[in-house]
Amino acid sequence: MRSNWLPEIVQRSETGPFVQEPEFDRLLTQTVRALVREHGLKFDPQDLVPSDDGLADRLYRAGVELLAQMGAYNQSTERRILLSRAEIEEAVAAAPSAVVLGEGKDAVVERHRGVESEIPCVMHSGPTGTPCSEMLHPFILQSCAQEPLVDCLGHGSVPSYLGEAIVAGSPQEILAARHQASLAREAVRRAGRPGMHIEDNAVSLTCAGKMASLDPEAGLRPSDGLLVAQIPELKTNYDQLSRVAHLRSLGMHIVNLITPLVGGLGGGAEGTAVVTVASHLLGALAYSASYHFMGHMHLLRSINTDRMGLWIQAVSAQALARNTPLVVVNDIYAASGLGTTDLLWEVAAGAIVGAVCGTHQHGTGATAGRETDHTSGLEARFQAQVAHAALGRSRREANGLVLECLRHYEEHLATPNLGRPFSEVYDVETLEPRPWWLEAFHEVGGALDGHELDVHHAWRRVRHDR
Amino acid sequence: MTDERLAARLKDALRSGDASAAETAARKALEAQADPLDLIRNVLVPTLTEVGKQFQEFEIFLPELMAAGDAAKAATVILEQAIAAAGKASSSLGTVVLGTVQNDVHDIGKNIVSTLLSSHGFRVVDIGRDVAPSAFLEAARREKAEIVAMSALMTTTRPAAQSTIRLFEEVEARDDFKIIVGGGSIDAAWAKAIGADGYAPDAASAVDLCRRLVGR
Amino acid sequence: MLSNWQTEIVKRSEIGPYLPEAEFERALTRLVPELVRKHGIHYDPQVLIPSDDDMADRLYQAGMDLFLEMGAYNMSTERRILFSRGEVEEAVAAAPSAVRLGEGKDAVVMCWRGVESQVPCVVHSGPTGTPCSERYHPLILQSCAQEPLVDCLGAGSVSTYMGRPIIPGSPLEILGVQRDAAAAREAARRAGRPGIHINDVASPLTCAGKMAALHPAWGLRRSDALLVSQLPELKTNYDQLSRAAYLQAAGVHIVDLMTPLVGGLGGGAAGTAVVTVACHLLGVMLYSPSYHIYGHMHLLESTDTDRMGLWVYAVGGQALARNTPLLTTTAVYTQAGLGTEEVLWEIAAGTLAGTVAGMHHNGVGATGGSTPDHTSGLEHRFYAQVAHASLGVSRQTANGLVLEILRHYEGSHKDPPPGVPFPQLYEIETLEPLGPWLDLHQRVLDELAAMGLDVHGAWRKVRRERGL
Repeated sequence: MRSNWLPEIVQRSETGPFVQEPEFDRLLTQTVRALVREHGLKFDPQDLVPSDDGLADRLYRAGVELLAQMGAYNQSTERRILLSRAEIEEAVAAAPSAVVLGEGKDAVVERHRGVESEIPCVMHSGPTGTPCSEMLHPFILQSCAQEPLVDCLGHGSVPSYLGEAIVAGSPQEILAARHQASLAREAVRRAGRPGMHIEDNAVSLTCAGKMASLDPEAGLRPSDGLLVAQIPELKTNYDQLSRVAHLRSLGMHIVNLITPLVGGLGGGAEGTAVVTVASHLLGALAYSASYHFMGHMHLLRSINTDRMGLWIQAVSAQALARNTPLVVVNDIYAASGLGTTDLLWEVAAGAIVGAVCGTHQHGTGATAGRETDHTSGLEARFQAQVAHAALGRSRREANGLVLECLRHYEEHLATPNLGRPFSEVYDVETLEPRPWWLEAFHEVGGALDGHELDVHHAWRRVRHDR
Repeated sequence: MTDERLAARLKDALRSGDASAAETAARKALEAQADPLDLIRNVLVPTLTEVGKQFQEFEIFLPELMAAGDAAKAATVILEQAIAAAGKASSSLGTVVLGTVQNDVHDIGKNIVSTLLSSHGFRVVDIGRDVAPSAFLEAARREKAEIVAMSALMTTTRPAAQSTIRLFEEVEARDDFKIIVGGGSIDAAWAKAIGADGYAPDAASAVDLCRRLVGR
Repeated sequence: MLSNWQTEIVKRSEIGPYLPEAEFERALTRLVPELVRKHGIHYDPQVLIPSDDDMADRLYQAGMDLFLEMGAYNMSTERRILFSRGEVEEAVAAAPSAVRLGEGKDAVVMCWRGVESQVPCVVHSGPTGTPCSERYHPLILQSCAQEPLVDCLGAGSVSTYMGRPIIPGSPLEILGVQRDAAAAREAARRAGRPGIHINDVASPLTCAGKMAALHPAWGLRRSDALLVSQLPELKTNYDQLSRAAYLQAAGVHIVDLMTPLVGGLGGGAAGTAVVTVACHLLGVMLYSPSYHIYGHMHLLESTDTDRMGLWVYAVGGQALARNTPLLTTTAVYTQAGLGTEEVLWEIAAGTLAGTVAGMHHNGVGATGGSTPDHTSGLEHRFYAQVAHASLGVSRQTANGLVLEILRHYEGSHKDPPPGVPFPQLYEIETLEPLGPWLDLHQRVLDELAAMGLDVHGAWRKVRRERGL
């Protein structure tokens, strides 16, 4: 068992086999294809939440195998960081199975859940690093932080500072990072939840930018988190690894962000699931993550509420829930925009899969994270209600529900209804949702009730028993 | 006229992404006196267009697209050699200098564009990711490019596309090249605002755009 | 008067005139000799500390002209950041003329001094960014922090982490920086001076690396400082500017480090002096520093105790002292190694030149900063003793003294004695200097006293009258 991983990772980054990136990519596509075949992984578009434990376990083994065969690619040195199977398995076994997020009375415990678990999901709200305007970002944050069913706060990516486009890596990035971090702190303070976990500062692009958001009074604290990203697929670089070094030393939560691309180097649904599992393992080992964001997305559409995306969430979550202690959070990216019923159906589908297959819940990136200001508190409230209602459901039941949800939006995925931005679905003074957004919320909630998903009451029981 | 059977063999090799089979098929076709330019225009390009379309429809995925691109590249090398040996002008539709803008390290989208452009007969000079404005300029001049193509995934990196265009203007090189932009953070309005010559929302339309710009 | 400079600097970096770096350098090499001629700046190897106020003022104007004409070069955008005369003059006038360094009872105030001033110098110790080994670094730091005449502590640089070479920009840089910052804080604590100002952690090469040094409990704090560098000559980049932005936002002292190269793009002594003055103006405009490190050095030898180096200190220091409120400091880089007589003579020359020219003192880098572990507390005690003895000495007297001091080391300047590293000069358990090193120190002090420099008494007087 190795105790000092980071210097070792640097060492392997410097001395591992040199390979140019396109070659690594090629090797990965071949390896994934072989592993999918060898482990008999099969995507069935009618069975999006498979109840097949064998499939989950085979997928897990394929993920371990992929990481053990490929290692991680360090783009800074163009070398592979090779890891043995034993090292991977040991590091994963030693990863935390529960973490305290936030501080004081606003702290929550996020624990490993397991398949078909009765343990309530922790609800992280958006924004999921999606674009927000300088003007509205503070209101969006507060609308999320004030939601009683939201446990942790997300953060948006704001592309300007004092009205000027931020030049990445310049002083503007530093200043904007500090400013936007202080707005998140201010949002939780105003919401009366000053110790609430803030999971990231999404304005920053560089290690220095991320570090700039830390400030014990006005910024992020050790009880908060910052994302360290993997670059698809199974790639990292010194900028990301340096974040790990700093955050670890400060005792700050590290969030492993993975964004495997469905239809990308991993190929289709099965291959991407293998990559997704491997990416979690890599994050546990190389990033010492407190928890993981399962952020796979469609290569062309940047969403994961289509059949392939939902299946990958379902099988990867089960593979990890059954075989590791990792704390995993789904990361729903939907095609539709705010204020639409389609969006809520997409959210419901993703939330049900996560709740039943062992993840916690992360707020939604509406409009595939493309349009500005498409986050509000209400869809996070909805997601929490659905997730709490889905606790303890069987995978088979969940599959039926998810297929039902899909019926409401699937045919619009190619040309989604982009809805309206925050300022049109919320009153920006009272910070309450406007009637039409609430109506959509009630409409879909009511419809789910009709399918025996008790979105109106289940959360009360969760709160009561918790 | 190209032997139908040999053309079909080349097509199959391209579709299945088998580079060595594509190479062999190209050689065999040449041995059978096929016109290399005809092979490029009537076999390679349409086959890759079809593969690109399948990818766009998500009937196939990136690994298959990459393999088809690699196979096309292997065949093109053989065919271009034959064209050069016959003393004819290259079949290239033009040179595209392609890169991801400064500070942006995301390059999957750019790589797809690169694959599709080169398999459609463009000479693609891929200068990688995190490319400084002056590096775009230098490469465009060195390679005598027709088109400079920039990609930016993040809203936080897209200002670099504007800086690059500004640099071309300042050194009075703006009219020497067509400059196009694309990538997740860019839309038509932004492309227009920064004075780009074109914008493509996806890889397939990037090919159409480039063709339009070089008049082919 | 512009109030939001940092965003303005980014804007000018993005839209200022584009110029490839080599052309910027060519333009600079052409302009500097022109300004030297126009302003009549003459280097005289026999007058190393000129008493010519007018030349000091002309030098200041030449530096101003250079900066206004060239601007600052942003290597990240390959563009020039240009300023108007009004902007520069206003910003310089608004720069701090006194800063409080450190906290609690260990704080000191560094204030503007002026030429031939009686105001005592603040003395920082090394290591001035010079290399230390992982093993001895904490001990070297403590040997400096515990010196009663040392007011501020430099944190030095260590090039390995747990025995592995630190690769810039990698996690090892972050881990190494945090270790070094903690070592400096711990050295200050052990020396019984927990609030002493720590003036940098020199290991990191990136903005993120610098930022990693800050931590309220174990690292550097608001009362400490980090360096932001200029790249020779008159160049910066976004990485450096981002450090300045962060430190400014976090309320940490910023130190403007410049290292103009004598014999480099600025040409000889006269041209480098012009560049050095311009660098101070650049520092003010871009970095908002609390103070500056006047770090010019010989292009080939990386030291500043030869005649040209001393002259550049003397005239540039005077130019700034007479025309600005800026706080600038020497960084004496010697040819000789530690534990030699020559190193002390070199320090004495640099200290005299800087003190009478109006500067404070930022530490000594023995062996031109090239050999590991060539720093200890004792040469900094000596540095302070000479500085305090030089207070109020006229430039003419100082010039005579410097020429005499030069006689002790100039002959061996090209082939300096290498000396020995810290563990051979200090008892590494008690952390007291060993006999031979103390004897050398005493002998050179006595010789300086015989020349008329009150190295034994002056510091007592300074302490008595300083009223700290």
